[in-house]
Amino acid sequence: MPKYVMVIDVEKCIGCMACVIACKKENNVPEEHFRTRVVEEVRGEFPNLRMELRSELCNHCENAPCIDACPTRASHRAKDGTVQIDSVKCIGCKACILACPYDARYSHPKGFADKCTFCDHRLKEGKKPACVETCLGKSRIFGDLEEANSEVAELLRKHDSSVRLEFAGTRPRVFYIKKKFAGGL
Amino acid sequence: MTEITITGLNAITHPYLEVWDWRIVIYLFLGGLSAGMLVMCSIANLRITKQPVEELAQCVRAPFIAFIILAIGALFIIIDLGKPQSLLWGYLTFQPLSLMSWGTWGVPAVLVANALYILAVIPKDQRHKLKFPFLIKIAEKLAPKMRPIAKLNFAMGIFLGIYTGVLLSSFAAIPLWNNATLPILFLVSALSSGAAMIVIIAKKNEIKFLFTKIDIWLIVAELVIILLFLYGLYTSTAPYKKAIEPFFSFTSEQFIFAIALIAIFLLLPLALRIKLGELKEFEDGFHGEFTKAQIFRMNFAAVLVLTGTLILRAAIVYAGQLTKLSPY
Repeated sequence: MPKYVMVIDVEKCIGCMACVIACKKENNVPEEHFRTRVVEEVRGEFPNLRMELRSELCNHCENAPCIDACPTRASHRAKDGTVQIDSVKCIGCKACILACPYDARYSHPKGFADKCTFCDHRLKEGKKPACVETCLGKSRIFGDLEEANSEVAELLRKHDSSVRLEFAGTRPRVFYIKKKFAGGL
Repeated sequence: MTEITITGLNAITHPYLEVWDWRIVIYLFLGGLSAGMLVMCSIANLRITKQPVEELAQCVRAPFIAFIILAIGALFIIIDLGKPQSLLWGYLTFQPLSLMSWGTWGVPAVLVANALYILAVIPKDQRHKLKFPFLIKIAEKLAPKMRPIAKLNFAMGIFLGIYTGVLLSSFAAIPLWNNATLPILFLVSALSSGAAMIVIIAKKNEIKFLFTKIDIWLIVAELVIILLFLYGLYTSTAPYKKAIEPFFSFTSEQFIFAIALIAIFLLLPLALRIKLGELKEFEDGFHGEFTKAQIFRMNFAAVLVLTGTLILRAAIVYAGQLTKLSPY
């Protein structure tokens, strides 16, 4: 089974939000809903400020609380290891939305829960997710961690990486790499 | 200082979770109420001495009312579903780790056990009211088995009472809910509200008095567990400590939660005071008759308990969604 992961190099994100738009267009995400977001975090006191731009999306956790919470197996682990939702089986109980510590899910206007799929329809065609393809700063990098020579494997070997809310024990598959703060903030 | 701007927000999760609303509050309240009623009326029916031929249930109407209450409660969670037309999928699988799945199977199971209970406790002279001959036959067959059915309903009531709390406590992403005290708190408040409801509906004075007494212990336990629940979170790590802030905040946005906590700690002790007053009037034992004022006081205390339980559940459901594990 492949182990698809996304590595986000936060220092390369230029905040163009093209990923947010590309995702909406590719996946026909309904108005006022999003599968991915960009967080702009400014720390410090003027003039000693540091800004970090960080993309966030479904972490396709290995220990996914949304799968455990689902009463119908609509939220499930697909054969490629990603976490997917079967919109036909979903009854819209919203338990998965509450269970996700990353707020990655939303309620689709048609009643089912919805979230990032890592563009599984594109993966089947051998393409990369739309957000990765469109990323101008090459901040989003996608690949199979099981392939030792893949770009993601190499990046995670070379850099210190972190995941969001590691203490939650969900074992996310979206990794963040960044250099240490320069200004001692 | 940290300033956060986010592009691509979903209103259901930002700035606060707005996922479960009043429909879930009513489901949890009615589910707990019917659970408490089943447990309490089973206690009443199992207390009577064993009969050689036909059991004479003491608590007859409570199972019927508990059934109606649970059915209405279940209706509220169904109307909360985004796709109720797909509900069948819930019955094609059982997911042991999903509390929703336990509810999907558990609530109908409780309703079935409850329906058996209704038939088993109907007195002989009232069976004709069942209209359908097959129901009368079933009631005749179930009547001698009233005790095992009462025991089954006792267990089902405990399951349902705990379930309403575990449903919330299973969400690790929600610090206010994610602790082991919550299911116990919800069970005790369910039992307390069940006892209160039976006080209100009971026609027999000895039942009214019995549950007025039982509820005293349950209210004391509930108040102690609320304090332990809040203390447990206060002494925990940052997100958990933050989760109880709404209850102690007097900002305009969260004032309602402080009011809710104050209301709970006014209503329940007031009910306790009234009940203890009633008990004092019968220090030398209960001899069968109440004055109208005594009945009013007992019913009034029971209404206070029910109101307190509803406020408790609403406050926990809504306040829980204000704090997340994540800092934003």
